[in-house]
Amino acid sequence: MSAPSLETVALVGNPNAGKTTLFNALTKSAAHVGNYAGVTVAVKSGEMFTAHGQKLRILDLPGCYSLRSTSPDEKIARDALMGELEGTPKPDLAICVVDASSMERQLNLVLQTIELGVPVVIALNMVDVAEKQGLRLDPAKLSEELNVPVVPIQANAGKGLVDLKQAMSHPFPPPAESPWLDGAEDPETARRDMVARLCELAARRPGEHQQTLSDKLDRFFLHPVFGWLAFILIMFSVFWAIFSFAKIPMDLISGSIGDLAKWIGTKMPEGDLHSLIVDGIIPGVGAVVVFLPQIVLLFLFIGLLESSGYMARAAYLMDGLMAKAGLSGKAFLPLFSSYACAIPGIMATRTIDSAKERLVTIFVAPWMSCSARLPVYFLLVPLLLDGKEGSWKQAAVLFGFYVLGTLSAFVVARVLRGRLGPDKQPNHFMLELPLYRGPQWSYIFRHVGDRAMAFLKKAGTLILGISIVLWALQTFPKTDSEDKGEQLAHSAIGRVGALIEPVVKPLGFDGRTGTAILTSFAARETFNTTMGVIFHVEESEDEEADRANLRDQITQATWPDGRALFTPLSVVSLLVFYVFALQCLATSAVVARESGSWKWAAGQFAFMSVFAYVASLIVYQGGHLLGLH
Amino acid sequence: MPRALANDLAADSAMTLNQASVGCDLQIKLLSGPSCDRLRDLGFCEQIQVRKLSGGRNLICSVCGTRMAISRELAEQVLVAPVS
Repeated sequence: MSAPSLETVALVGNPNAGKTTLFNALTKSAAHVGNYAGVTVAVKSGEMFTAHGQKLRILDLPGCYSLRSTSPDEKIARDALMGELEGTPKPDLAICVVDASSMERQLNLVLQTIELGVPVVIALNMVDVAEKQGLRLDPAKLSEELNVPVVPIQANAGKGLVDLKQAMSHPFPPPAESPWLDGAEDPETARRDMVARLCELAARRPGEHQQTLSDKLDRFFLHPVFGWLAFILIMFSVFWAIFSFAKIPMDLISGSIGDLAKWIGTKMPEGDLHSLIVDGIIPGVGAVVVFLPQIVLLFLFIGLLESSGYMARAAYLMDGLMAKAGLSGKAFLPLFSSYACAIPGIMATRTIDSAKERLVTIFVAPWMSCSARLPVYFLLVPLLLDGKEGSWKQAAVLFGFYVLGTLSAFVVARVLRGRLGPDKQPNHFMLELPLYRGPQWSYIFRHVGDRAMAFLKKAGTLILGISIVLWALQTFPKTDSEDKGEQLAHSAIGRVGALIEPVVKPLGFDGRTGTAILTSFAARETFNTTMGVIFHVEESEDEEADRANLRDQITQATWPDGRALFTPLSVVSLLVFYVFALQCLATSAVVARESGSWKWAAGQFAFMSVFAYVASLIVYQGGHLLGLH
Repeated sequence: MPRALANDLAADSAMTLNQASVGCDLQIKLLSGPSCDRLRDLGFCEQIQVRKLSGGRNLICSVCGTRMAISRELAEQVLVAPVS
């Protein structure tokens, strides 16, 4: 990060204490929110100004219950506080964000932070909730006992922020002593006694247990029957909404891309550069950017479910089902996110405590059909039906492929989990069920914005690169022939296609399809682009019409002996290949980073590719034996 | 000497969180098992009051105003007594 001289303030606290809300409230005036390379999502950085105009860097650390670091998330928080996280300076001040309504549980972490010798300010958040629960808070007494500033705030309503900024002004408070450790044999017991004393003095709780709105809602949402009904309804609505609402912006984007290609086409003279931009770059990148609305919508819904508190309930409900696959309910969110894109899903595995469960979740996450497979499905599924898109039959077949991927993921997870053996330390299921809350729009929008930018960056770099390479491969070496088909057969890509035909023939594909598969190994979205080029389909403004046009070409394609190239059997075989193959370089890179080993990523890539090949082979050859065609 | 509090009426009547009935207000008497530290991090400390909200494969408790879902194996390590 730039300007290393900037003083750093870290936000520390339990999960759901309101750190991210506070982070957003403090840094909203700053334009820049950046992620550190290597720990994206985990540590966020932003900038703010104090009441005296002093610029500070704010770090939003992942939530943790203790600094003993059992999960990767907690280790990151601890390392950041100790100044041991690469690329992150040691914080000059730690703001301990404490949920005032459960101080008994959260002060332990504050004491641990003070013991590290970092200057500490306590931000006593959600004082409104605590007061509603009848807690009698005494921030002044707490401050006196711990000898650190305590500022009551309500981060979601922006209350108390001025006081907090004041407390963050220079000079920072000196590091506090930790007298509770003096002469104590066991620091854990000493801390516990101290917390009990502090709560007795500064957060007295009314005797009787109070029934809150969240309790009442949970009686429904966690009910063994109604809870499941609600879960299925919510998940179904999310998927339905994504596919139906995304259509309008997707059409708009593909229309604009078509217009752009046309406009540039008329402005530029014919030649290689014209061809590179109009036939290579614009359609290649455009085919990916068009999925932005779906990604944005999925993250919007995930953000909504998370910030409302429902996601934790879903994980609780799913725990039993996930156990059948050898996983726990904590693997639900990562796997669910992988339906949009495996990359954030794999990153979300950081909340899983068990290292082996985490590895297994990372391994199977790419089998949750991500949205990059959709263009391929949309192109091929109508070939099995009446050739039209959007019918209920298409939806049913699509659903079938989602189920196939998911079930296979569960079976492989089960086998793999058994092979890895039990953890050294048993990891039991434990999960905090936060209070139900209204959506925190600022957090959601920022989260969605970050994801959209990451996706566009991928399209702008990786896919751009692939589009250029693809264009070059199909353009050079050149022939004198005007015929596009002859040119293609003469080009590098045509030759590669001829070379790999024996490998893909047992699956029912010819060299042309093989080439399209090969080019889509880096990013599966490029399959359609390559097929379009190979079967020389002109790009138009309407993406759906383009696909229909390409489908016509594909249907007419034949083997040299005149047989139809694409039969229902070979289409199913191709679809099955796309369900299972890991064709995403970016995912492999993230897997290598998150699992800490390139071997794991390479193994996953090899396993999934071989699995896809074998599955496709079984479908095609098995179908043949049964007399299908 | 074992850590059970002999002659302590409250400890003598202690049961595991699994055995307690749903809806009961309970006081944690003792944590005993390999996951004690983790349980304490989550707020399950001796003397703290909890309410068991649901049973089953994972049970839900209200601890200091927060609901926690924990597995049966973990709940087995929490010894509680009803609040009189």
